[in-house]
Amino acid sequence: MKAIPSLRPTAEELLDAAREHIVTKVIPTIADPQLRFQTLVAAHVLGVVGRELSAGSAPFKHVQSEVRALPGAPADDGALCAAIAAGAFDDEAAGAPLRQHLRMRTELALMAWNPLFVMRVKGER
Amino acid sequence: MNAQHLEETLSKAVGQPVTVTRAAPLAGGASMETWSLDATVNGAPERLVLRRDMAVNMYAAALTRPQEFHLLEVAHRAGVKVPLPRWCYAGDAATRPFFVMNRVDGESVGRKVVKLPELAAARAAMAREMGRQLARIHAVTLTDDLAFLPRPRAGERPFEEALRSTRAIADGLAHDNPVWAYALRWLATHAPDEMGRAPVLVHGDFRVGNLLVAPSGLAAVIDWEFAHVGDLHEDLAWPTLRDWRFERDALTVGGVGTVDDLLAGYAEAGGAPVDRRAMAWWEIMGNLRWSVMCHAQAERHLSGKDRSVEFASLGRKSAEIEWEIVDLIERHAQEHTL
Repeated sequence: MKAIPSLRPTAEELLDAAREHIVTKVIPTIADPQLRFQTLVAAHVLGVVGRELSAGSAPFKHVQSEVRALPGAPADDGALCAAIAAGAFDDEAAGAPLRQHLRMRTELALMAWNPLFVMRVKGER
Repeated sequence: MNAQHLEETLSKAVGQPVTVTRAAPLAGGASMETWSLDATVNGAPERLVLRRDMAVNMYAAALTRPQEFHLLEVAHRAGVKVPLPRWCYAGDAATRPFFVMNRVDGESVGRKVVKLPELAAARAAMAREMGRQLARIHAVTLTDDLAFLPRPRAGERPFEEALRSTRAIADGLAHDNPVWAYALRWLATHAPDEMGRAPVLVHGDFRVGNLLVAPSGLAAVIDWEFAHVGDLHEDLAWPTLRDWRFERDALTVGGVGTVDDLLAGYAEAGGAPVDRRAMAWWEIMGNLRWSVMCHAQAERHLSGKDRSVEFASLGRKSAEIEWEIVDLIERHAQEHTL
C-alpha cells in the first residue's frame, strides 16, 4: 500500500477520517439501538483495516514461515490442517510448539481486530 | 410491519379482533423478528411479545415457531421460568409463522446485565438461579409430543453428534483453519468416558443474553429455538464461555457468578451429578461451535444472501474465540504434564 508515496492523505489517514466522522458526527444522532450498534460495528471495522494496513505484509509472511518451521515442515495451512487431522501433533512434543504457533497467529489477528482483548486476557495471569 | 398489519396478524392467531395500542421492535437475534405489543384482547389489556421468523432463516437445526411455542408450554408446566405462551399461528401465504407470549419485564442485553447498578442484587444470586433453572429444564420428560426436537442419530452419543455437526459446518465453509483442525482433533481424542449418559432436554443457548433479568432476579429463560436432546454438560458449560462474560472475565458464569454457585443451584434443584471434566470438554466444544458459527454468519454476508457489516465483522471476531480455544487446550495440557 506504500507504492505511491506522494498520495496524501494516505489510505490509513482517509480511513481514520471516515471512522472519526461516523463516531463523532453520525452515531450521536442515531436513536434506533440496532442501527446504532451496527454503525458502531462499521466504525470498528474501519479501525481494524487501518491497523492492518499499518502492519503491512510482515505478519502474513511471518505466519507462513512459522508454519514451515513446525514439526513435519507443512508447506502451508492446508498441509498443516491435514497433518493435525492425521494425528501428527497428538503427542506433547509436537503439540506444545503447535499451540505456541496457533497462539501467535491468533494474537496477530487480534492486534488488528481488538488489541484490548489480548491486554485484558493477559492481565488475568 | 405497521400497527394495522400487526392487528390483522394477531387477530388471526386469537380468532377474534384485537386492538394494538402500542408496538415497538425489540432487539432480537439474527434470525428472529420480535415485537413488544400493548393490545386489547376480549376487552382486556394485554402486555405481549410477538416472535416470528425472518424471511431468511439461517439455521436448519432451529425449531419452527409452533415447535418453540409447544416447548414453552412444556417448560412452563415443568416449572421453568418462561414467559407464559398465549397464542400461536402456523402461518399462511401472506403471514410467516409466529407466536405470542406474555411480556416479562427484565433486561436481556448481556453488556447491560453485567453492569447496570440496579441489577447488582440479581447478579449476586444469578449463577445459582441459573443452575436451578437448568436442573428443571433437564428434568423435563421427553414424551412423544417432543419428538420434533433434534437429537443424535441412533447409536450416536450427544458428544459425537456435536462433533459431527460442527465438523460438517466447518467443512462447508471450506477454509483451512488450523485452530479448528486442532480443536476437532483434540475433542475427538479427549472425550471423557462418562459421556454416554442418558440424553436430556437441552436448552441449547442458555446464557446471559438469553435470560431476562429484573432487579428482583432472573425473571425468564427465553430464546428456545436451539433446544434439542443432548448432554446436560452442554447447557452447563455454554454460559461459561468467555464471550458470554461480557468482559467480566473473572466471573466465569456469564460475567455474574462462579461455576461453584451454578453447580450448587443445579444440585439443589435435583440436577444429576456433574462431571467437571465433561464440562471442560463441552466448554472447548462450545467455543469451537461459536467460532464456526461466527464464520458461518460472515459467509451469510459474503455470499450476498444477507448483507450486513455486523455479520461480516463476526468472521474477524472469531480470533477472540480461537485464542480462547488454544488457551483452554494449553491449560489442560499443563495440568496433565505436571
